[in-house]
Amino acid sequence: MFEVRSWWSKGLLQLVATLLVLPYLFPLIAMVQGSFAGDGWGNYRDVLQVPGFFRFFLNSAIISAGVIVLVYAVTMLAAYGFAKLHIRFREVYFWMLLACLTLPEVVLLTPLFTTTQAVGLSNTYWAVILPLAALQVPFAVLLTRNFINGLPDEMFEAARVDGATSMRGFLYLVIPLTRPIAAAVLIFTLIGAWNDYLMPLVFLQSQEMQTITLVPQFFVGEFSNDQTKILASAVLTAIPEIVAYLCLQGMFERGLSAGAIK
Amino acid sequence: MTVTTQRVDSAVGSSSRPRRHRRRIQAPGLPWILPALVLSAGLIYYCIGYTGFLSTLNWDGASPDPESIGLKNYTNLVNDPVFWKAIWHTVSFFIVTFVLQTAIGVVFAVIMHSRIRLAVVYKVIIFVPVVLAPAIMAPVFRQIFAADGQLNWVLGHIGLGFLEQPWIGQDSTALPVIMAITIWQWTGLTFVLYYAAMSQIDPSLLEAARIDGAGNIRTLTAIIWPSLRGTTLALGILSAIGALKTFDVPWLVTIAGPNNSTQFLGTYIYQMTIQLAHVGYGAALSIVLLVIALAMAIVLQVTGRERTGGR
Repeated sequence: MFEVRSWWSKGLLQLVATLLVLPYLFPLIAMVQGSFAGDGWGNYRDVLQVPGFFRFFLNSAIISAGVIVLVYAVTMLAAYGFAKLHIRFREVYFWMLLACLTLPEVVLLTPLFTTTQAVGLSNTYWAVILPLAALQVPFAVLLTRNFINGLPDEMFEAARVDGATSMRGFLYLVIPLTRPIAAAVLIFTLIGAWNDYLMPLVFLQSQEMQTITLVPQFFVGEFSNDQTKILASAVLTAIPEIVAYLCLQGMFERGLSAGAIK
Repeated sequence: MTVTTQRVDSAVGSSSRPRRHRRRIQAPGLPWILPALVLSAGLIYYCIGYTGFLSTLNWDGASPDPESIGLKNYTNLVNDPVFWKAIWHTVSFFIVTFVLQTAIGVVFAVIMHSRIRLAVVYKVIIFVPVVLAPAIMAPVFRQIFAADGQLNWVLGHIGLGFLEQPWIGQDSTALPVIMAITIWQWTGLTFVLYYAAMSQIDPSLLEAARIDGAGNIRTLTAIIWPSLRGTTLALGILSAIGALKTFDVPWLVTIAGPNNSTQFLGTYIYQMTIQLAHVGYGAALSIVLLVIALAMAIVLQVTGRERTGGR
């Protein structure tokens, strides 16, 4: 965009970029540096020796996987129905879903809390998976429906003329053709579920059910506020996310961009 | 991003298209959308209805027969200075974070589009915060902004020692800290979206501007910035919704304090409902938040429609 020919203007641009990026790097450096203060690697050893530390990762993985499977399944079915099948009052249903797009999750707290207690779901994975999935579905459907709308009707008609049921059309046309958009849905659902704090905080009371977002406050109790160990645990919980991003950079950027306008 | 908002519109607007004969041979689709409707709309509308009912009660969340008090929670709410504080924080939070993120995002995207070394490294650094959970970073920021934290240490060592202060311990700086953390977290996304939008600008347009004698700054303000309008609008809506949803950062970094100076609607609802067990009042706050969020959703649809109509 900018035309930089001379060496000094190139240098200036490089300098501006570096100065801009430094504040973004600073917290990451502070996190790593703080985690080595005092005992050095000993902080990490202590954190890793806490029984049940890996349980947090496992729980986050289970919950994220549950949300992703649920969102993917109902989104694909609904997007296909909305885009290519006949539904009376279709747009009314669609608007019902769209109205949930901007819903802040804190609004759901009390009703979900009393209801999960009443039906015996409290302190189970479902108490977190169901509301998280419910909040992700509207946008996933919107995105996927638009994508399927772009697939030619003629293709579906041809399949129909050849005797394919709508189920076969779904399995052999929709599922394979929607892969690009499914990747985006997968990424923003994963990030949304993995990083969520409020739902696990309220609905997962026992420690062996809790997710990685509750790790810092667990360690505040465990190490009586020893900051260095808490920062070590923060580094350890951040590593999987950073590694996943570095491995799938393009997918993360596209997925989160697509998932951004919620 | 631009594309997304347009798509929102085209999907919604498709009902107005004349129905063609081929619709007749389409199979019924209601069973296909039912799972999504039950899971999402069912659960969410049930909760909203329930919350609406709770908002007419004076209930501590435990007593078996709560007292019905009509709209008293809502009249209390209008006279609650903390509620208005939370609203004001949300508005100023939105304006500051949106303006700064946009400015940094655009400048950064322009620089990354100009030939520069180590572009990938810069991009990774600025995008990594987007994927990190605010809940995990919260203790890090508590440490950085503490009175004996790294920020004050850095200020002291670069000769700005007079700026050292207990950043999260005093009313005047707590909210700016929350804003700074949010900007840190989301600029990466702003940058990526602007970067993508800038790739769409016709290079011959830029060249024509240069031949006409426009410098770098002039090109940025007269050509690049106007062509990013769609992205900016979408990001504005995104930031506004994000401001309404704010919970994790003020809750974990400053516990909505000191003296409610970082109180947002989300944190206030949580405090009222879970900590103070004023469930009815929390529900009334939730309904107000919901109405504001819904108004935002309508704005989102209407602006999307207008923009497509204008083309």
